[in-house]
Amino acid sequence: MAFHQPSDHDVERRRAARALLASPLLTARDDDFRLVRKHAAELAGWFADQTGWRLTVDAETARLFKKPAALDDSTRPARAPKTKVPFTRRRYVLLCLALAALERSESQTTLGRLAEGVLTGAADPALAEAGITFAMERREERADLVAVVRLLLSWGVLARVQGDEEAFVADGGNDVLYDLDRQVTGGLLATSRSASTVTETAFEQRLTALAAEPVPDTDDLRLRALRHAMTRRLLDDPVVYYADLTEPERAYLANQRVAITRRITDLTGLIPEMRAEGIAMVDPDDALTDVRMPEQGTDGHVTLLIATKLATDGKAPTVPELIGFVQTQAKLHASYWRKTAVEPAAAADLAEQAVAKLEALNLVIRVLDDRGEVRIHPRSALMRYAMTDPTIKKTGTRA
Amino acid sequence: MAYVTDVPPPQPFAYLGTPNAPLYAGILDVFALAKQRFTVHLRPEDVLSDWPGAPGALDGGRADAVRPTVEQLVQALDKLVEWGNLRSDADTGRVTTVEDFNRARRIYQLTRHGQAALAAIEHYEQALGQRGRLQTVALADIAEQLSALALHAEAADAPDQATVGLLLFALTERFTGLADNAEAFMSSLRRTVDFSDGDGDEEAFLAYKDRLIEYIDKFIADLANRGAQIAGLIERIETAGIARILEAAARRDAVDAIPDTDRTDGADAGVAHAHATAVQAATRDWENRWRGLREWFVSSGTRRPSQARLLRNAAVSGITNLVNTVAALNERRGGRSDRSADFRTLARFFAQAPDDAAAHRLWRAAFALAPARHLTVDSDTEDTWEQAEYPPGTPWAAAAPLLISPRLRETGSYERRGAPNRAVDREQGRRQLAERAEREAAEIAEARRLLATDGPVLLSELAGDEGLDPRAFRLFLSVLGDALAARRPGIATTTATSGDGTMEIRLKLVDAGTIVAIPTEDGVLSGPEHVVEIIDLTARPVAVR
Repeated sequence: MAFHQPSDHDVERRRAARALLASPLLTARDDDFRLVRKHAAELAGWFADQTGWRLTVDAETARLFKKPAALDDSTRPARAPKTKVPFTRRRYVLLCLALAALERSESQTTLGRLAEGVLTGAADPALAEAGITFAMERREERADLVAVVRLLLSWGVLARVQGDEEAFVADGGNDVLYDLDRQVTGGLLATSRSASTVTETAFEQRLTALAAEPVPDTDDLRLRALRHAMTRRLLDDPVVYYADLTEPERAYLANQRVAITRRITDLTGLIPEMRAEGIAMVDPDDALTDVRMPEQGTDGHVTLLIATKLATDGKAPTVPELIGFVQTQAKLHASYWRKTAVEPAAAADLAEQAVAKLEALNLVIRVLDDRGEVRIHPRSALMRYAMTDPTIKKTGTRA
Repeated sequence: MAYVTDVPPPQPFAYLGTPNAPLYAGILDVFALAKQRFTVHLRPEDVLSDWPGAPGALDGGRADAVRPTVEQLVQALDKLVEWGNLRSDADTGRVTTVEDFNRARRIYQLTRHGQAALAAIEHYEQALGQRGRLQTVALADIAEQLSALALHAEAADAPDQATVGLLLFALTERFTGLADNAEAFMSSLRRTVDFSDGDGDEEAFLAYKDRLIEYIDKFIADLANRGAQIAGLIERIETAGIARILEAAARRDAVDAIPDTDRTDGADAGVAHAHATAVQAATRDWENRWRGLREWFVSSGTRRPSQARLLRNAAVSGITNLVNTVAALNERRGGRSDRSADFRTLARFFAQAPDDAAAHRLWRAAFALAPARHLTVDSDTEDTWEQAEYPPGTPWAAAAPLLISPRLRETGSYERRGAPNRAVDREQGRRQLAERAEREAAEIAEARRLLATDGPVLLSELAGDEGLDPRAFRLFLSVLGDALAARRPGIATTTATSGDGTMEIRLKLVDAGTIVAIPTEDGVLSGPEHVVEIIDLTARPVAVR
């Protein structure tokens, strides 16, 4: 594949597009915000055309409303900024209540005031019925709220003026003062329909209703919708398998893959790995991702070892089998792994984390077998992690 | 019939129900205005000349009252007399034309009934919140009275106390009402209802919108035009001399305060003093009021904008709020309810999600903040794939796998993990340092030995035949420096000990005129001839000294 030498303009636009894909909400604090603003018109046009995503850019914020291509992906939770621990249902509820309170607050607020607002919102009997209550009296509850606030800080919704959250966790009497940026809160929700107008009661229907888009009724619009869906997937997902697509999608992608992937390459610098089973837009810069593979460090090593084993064995092990494998590997690599990971008891966590990562990357799936045991099945793209030939291995060695 | 007289009972509100109501209201306004100027009787031509929009009068009054012809006016006046709003009397004044003389001439004045009705209607309108209209009248009145005042101020004669006093009084009255109303308006703007939240607040909003628009239409627009005029009048009066006017009014007030002044004229100095004090106090009061009026209409610099300007700004921001609220209302009508409710609903959806995994899915759908996620490839692998030129149907398993660094596979790290640095043995360095120190000490001792003289010698002889050894010379320079520094004026002999206490030098000037040169390896030192004695203190027992 030969690419023309990209101009400065293209390089800048590529950086801007990648910045938006990596974090769809940017504020003036972010490094690439200026570039996004500079190329806003072009990017907005591209995203609207190819993905149906709306890009809004003003002097303070840039927001790409990245409607997900698939609603069944549970591998992209909100994470606490400090610990990277995925949010629980409880924290999601807190986040929404906090945002509801902020919508009505003055341009400045404090953590204590926010906590009060959350408590008021938490009085909704539906929440208690669902088993979620808040009293803000226990340390863990304050820690939950602080995790939410840190997420808001990381988005730029809040800016700390005085005080610190740790002190509030220790004692609710310590307050923290924030400036509130309404510009940012205004662009947080990306639902097609306003949530309060959704009357469905079952979870799946609610989800569908929130993300519903107009049904295309002409051939042109149908093709456009297909292009949007496929481009969205290729832009956001590590591997797109034909097997996961509907029949029209599969036919469209098989037909249009060269055109679609070329447009994506032009915009983002990702290059297509086109195989019989599907397409992966892979990143030569190893930057445009939140889950890295391969990765340095013990966890990355465990993941790589499990991936290699799965790719090479061609079998689907059960979770206990994988744990056993990790324990064996721990003995072999005791000198390289971090001390806590070498303990036999750590193997279960390590194995679980590795599988979750591979799952997030569309490389394995968990399947229940006949005996009700969870087996980790490799997916086709996992084969790219098989052992390489010894000869190639030598040339690949870096000095 | 209960009535025995031929006078019908007064019906002062009757005109309100007639199609000609604006005309009647206009006429009564003129009478009310005249009354404020303490003009009681009006001829029809007076009414016309005072009519809003007339050349002599000031516009901005009742915009809906079309200026009538004389015939219409007389008819209307008589109708008002019939209803009991006005009273008519024969006009006995002199006329200048035959037509006037032949016409039934009458003068009109408000009856008690008519006055009460006017007051009641004014109250009624105020209660309905029609502030814009009332204030427009107030602005017109203020301008009118100010221009009257300007004439007095610019007149050469001393201002007539009574006229000026009345004018100022009416001005104050009108202005107070205006200021009160404006204040009410400003505070109502400040506590703008939070319509973004309301369910069914739309009616309140519409009422608010109408009120605001009417206010802006009738008052603010007028204020913008009329404010400048009023400010101009104020400046004009002040240029002509406001003090004269205010004092005239104050004197009149003081007369009220001490009615006996005239009678005890000059006889009682105490009363005269009291009168002067009263005049002073009244003048101060009037000055204060005048300042209030001035600050209302005239901005003094950007930091103290006039009230009129503040009001205009408030109205402008009121419009901005209005537009925002309209947008929010439209959004709500368009199926977009307010975000606070959305967030609360989402909180419920999250709470009712079956598990955390479902909550994660909801999170992605609702907030769409997930980063893109991609596998990586290195350039070697890329080259391999390019060379292989796989046909599109190649399965992943058949393509070359990713070239992963064997070290990464083996250790989980790209970098070679080197042996730890051993603890550094500093013994050798220390030994070297010790040796060097020893060597240097020996060299210095040697220099001292070389430099030390056996008794006094001439400076010129110090160097000997081969010149001074460089080390010895450097040492010599330092002790020489010490010795010269110790020399006091007029004393030819100095003794000094070197800074490190190892040498003593005795210098004695032989002849300042004889310059000797000492060759050294570093150069030639030249100076007056001295007798020098250098003693190596370390080489001799101290006791010898």
